[in-house]
Amino acid sequence: MPKIVLEHVSKRFQKFTAVEDLNMVIEDREFIILLGPSGCGKTTTLRMIAGLETPTEGRITIGDTVVFDAEKRINLSPAKRDIGFLFQNYALWPHMTVHQNIAFGLENLKWPKADIEARVKEMLQMLKIEEFDKRYPAELSGGQQQRVAIARTLAPKPKVLFMDEPLSNLDAKLRLEMRIELKRLHTDTDSTFVYVTHDQLEAMTLSSRICLIKTGVLQQYDPPMETYSNPANLFVADFVGNPSMNFIDAKCLSCGGNTAQLEFFGRGFEFKSEKPISGISSEQVVVGVRPEFVHLEKGDNTAKIYGTLPAGMETTVKLDVNGYILTSVKFGNVDYKLNSDMDFAIEGDGIILFDKESGKNVGKGSVSAF
Amino acid sequence: MAAKTIKAPVGNRLATYFSKPANIITIAFLFILIMTVVLPLSTLLIGSLKVNGNQEAKYIGGGIKSGAFTFHHWVELLTSKEYFYAATKFWIPLGQSTIMALIACVVAVLFGGVVAWFITRSNLPCKKFISTVFVFPYIMPSWSMAMFWENFFKNTQINAGKGMLQALTGICVPESMVYGLFPCAMALGLHYAPFAYILIGGILRNMDANLEEAATVLKASRFKILRRVTLPIVMPALVSTVLLVFSSSISSYTVPFFLNRSSISSGNNFIAVSVQMRNLISSGQTKGQGYVLAIILMLFSIAILTVNNYITGSRKSFTTVTGKSGQVSLVKLGKAKIPVMVVMLILVGFFAIVPMLSFAAESLLEVPGDYSTLTLRYWFSSEPFEGSNKGDTIGILRSLFMWKALGRSLLLSLIVSAIAGTFGILIGYAVARKRGSRAATLVSNLAFLPYLIPSMSFGAVYLALSYTKGFTWLDGSFVLLIMVGSIKFMPFASRTGTSAMLQLSGEIEEAAIVIGVPWIKRMTKILFPIQKSSFISGYLLPFISCMRELSLFVLLVPSFTTLATSMLQEYSRTGLSQSSNAVNLLIIIVVLIIQFVVNKLTGASIDKGVGGN
Repeated sequence: MPKIVLEHVSKRFQKFTAVEDLNMVIEDREFIILLGPSGCGKTTTLRMIAGLETPTEGRITIGDTVVFDAEKRINLSPAKRDIGFLFQNYALWPHMTVHQNIAFGLENLKWPKADIEARVKEMLQMLKIEEFDKRYPAELSGGQQQRVAIARTLAPKPKVLFMDEPLSNLDAKLRLEMRIELKRLHTDTDSTFVYVTHDQLEAMTLSSRICLIKTGVLQQYDPPMETYSNPANLFVADFVGNPSMNFIDAKCLSCGGNTAQLEFFGRGFEFKSEKPISGISSEQVVVGVRPEFVHLEKGDNTAKIYGTLPAGMETTVKLDVNGYILTSVKFGNVDYKLNSDMDFAIEGDGIILFDKESGKNVGKGSVSAF
Repeated sequence: MAAKTIKAPVGNRLATYFSKPANIITIAFLFILIMTVVLPLSTLLIGSLKVNGNQEAKYIGGGIKSGAFTFHHWVELLTSKEYFYAATKFWIPLGQSTIMALIACVVAVLFGGVVAWFITRSNLPCKKFISTVFVFPYIMPSWSMAMFWENFFKNTQINAGKGMLQALTGICVPESMVYGLFPCAMALGLHYAPFAYILIGGILRNMDANLEEAATVLKASRFKILRRVTLPIVMPALVSTVLLVFSSSISSYTVPFFLNRSSISSGNNFIAVSVQMRNLISSGQTKGQGYVLAIILMLFSIAILTVNNYITGSRKSFTTVTGKSGQVSLVKLGKAKIPVMVVMLILVGFFAIVPMLSFAAESLLEVPGDYSTLTLRYWFSSEPFEGSNKGDTIGILRSLFMWKALGRSLLLSLIVSAIAGTFGILIGYAVARKRGSRAATLVSNLAFLPYLIPSMSFGAVYLALSYTKGFTWLDGSFVLLIMVGSIKFMPFASRTGTSAMLQLSGEIEEAAIVIGVPWIKRMTKILFPIQKSSFISGYLLPFISCMRELSLFVLLVPSFTTLATSMLQEYSRTGLSQSSNAVNLLIIIVVLIIQFVVNKLTGASIDKGVGGN
């Protein structure tokens, strides 16, 4: 069963480094999402695994086969890697009908004609596009083209499926629908999915593990909930989650074992970590608080209401704490008067302490005022 | 608007209509194009249906008078069996020209297409150099390849002087390899190969590489990808190229003129249909038949355009979805890399650089092929001329005639490119702003029509016009040359202008309208600067085309001393191959220098103009 291993993979274009010393293991039947801002090297990584791009250094193994090794000069063509690839712009062949598009890969595998027909029919049914069988891609809507592209990719039953921002050209509603379909397909097809996106929500909802990349360097490689609740550094904490995490600049007065004495909002707090705190390089630290840990109408901190954004199910409330804007989320539909006073508390065991200089996560726990 | 709204008074609606510059331009160009394209075409049609002058009346006989209506020209040229008249004057030349054009297409598309594929899709080294030099033959006058062919292959066995091949290796090729149908087809094919390269390369460059990658991932072999994916997708461009090369080749006059040495004895009897047309028109007795031939050549082109539109407009056509097509992974040539590069360099060098060397060599040899007779006489001598060109000197750089002709050529090209380029931008503006409107589509099609009319026919059209009552003042005038040139080369400019304007969103202009910037200022300060290099390409292409043009002007120039190209033709006709080679080299150098300077100063280039985007 295919397990994909990347060892010290780098890719340089002339002077520009797209991917730097990437190491990762993708287990069989995982749904891995490569996440990061645009231009961070995630598409390049995907294309290198697929064989569409040649790495400058490193080694890539799919299953038992070394598909790329810079030192041994091994570089298998994409055709020999037994993979499927779904392109962002679908890349449907405009001169072939839907049927011909789907059948093309099977013809290359020299399937018997009857089998091809049966498989194409199965795929058309599975993706609910039977009626478009004889149409050309130009005559289909974006969502329909997307389904054809998926059918074409899945038809030869690839064990590994690579997807490059497959939903980014669809409208919001269709995107939501296709997300569910993709998650079901992952289970139904019993294959490994590697998926590229810059949409953190897509990553959170779909993946079994998120691989977060920034300017070619791996930041964190963990299941989505772990990435969300215990981000490895400030970048990850900021990139994942919407509305994003509050970052409060604080002073570390003293630190020992599992506790640290902090000063922010002009008063003292005690931070209790689950594990011993380590890695603080100076007294400059950052306290990371997810909006759901900022509770309103309780506690002994005061702020002014800076603005409210009711969205029906929940309301995002922006607080002004002496010029410091803090985000909070409240369930239900509430509307506070602008500039009115508001009490709030920072409660919960998911507060993260970051070292300001290195940006690294040095502890996770709770804070209490003293 | 709903059907029931109360309509504004007609006067107001007209005022609103004409308050938009795009509407004024559309109407103005509709008028200009009807006057300059449609009207002359109809004079040609009329000319083919009436008796043109007393000589013709006498030739037809039966007491018919000049100016009378007659079907005689059509009937005689197409059906007369007397001495095989229709066959020798029309059907055989037409058949031979068709074969010649077909071979030219194959050569151009194969050569240009292969180079285009290597340049856009492989990791071939020296791409930049190959790409730049490969376009040279298209910049050269169209007969350059023909002259080069002759210079290279001619030999003493066929009484034609020693060519390069014979001088270097002693090999003498048979006459049919030097003159006639096959060499004409090769010369045309090689001349249009860069054109094919620019068109096909443009499509390949814009084609989404993911389409090929998708096939790679689905385990299609490289050959299968080429056959099932790449070729069908570039097919519309390929077909366009074939059709345009075909229509240009079949009506080419200069190449068959240079490589035509019909001798019945050797069985190498090739007269191209365009040469035939020129002969018919030049004779006072058969002008009408010449017009018939011009109309038939034009119908060929229009049929070709219709086929082209049908093919490119079908439902299998492109869907352009923006994607990451920037990430093209180039085909690795592996061990073949260096050999392919060497072959490419040799081929490109042979067809782009060696011709120029050959022109230089030929102009420096008293006896062709005999390198011991080196002389600078044909460039610098001030000895008087003994041929048709009395009063001139032999050395072309000392010849007052030559300098005047070159000056006139430059002046003509400048004026023509200024008019054609500006018209192109204006038409582009109107078409882009009024996209889809019937008037704009008509203007766009009419502006492209001159491209499809063979140069000779187009010349004939205006010749017929200058013989028409009320327009006789045009006969033999410089204004006539400017008119013909501007209209004939406008399609290049209007194509570039339109595509450049379409790339600009309307909002860019609207942003300026909102703050009250007048139209002229919007054009000169906003739209032109943004698409500067494209627009300048729209000026450059007519300039280059006009500089090297002969067939368009050959019927219209008052004397052969008018233009540099007509001087060249005269030298060649009188057998002064040294002088004609020297003039040709001079023209090529002038064009290349201007093209280079403009490219360096503005970034404009001819491949941008032809559709390389």
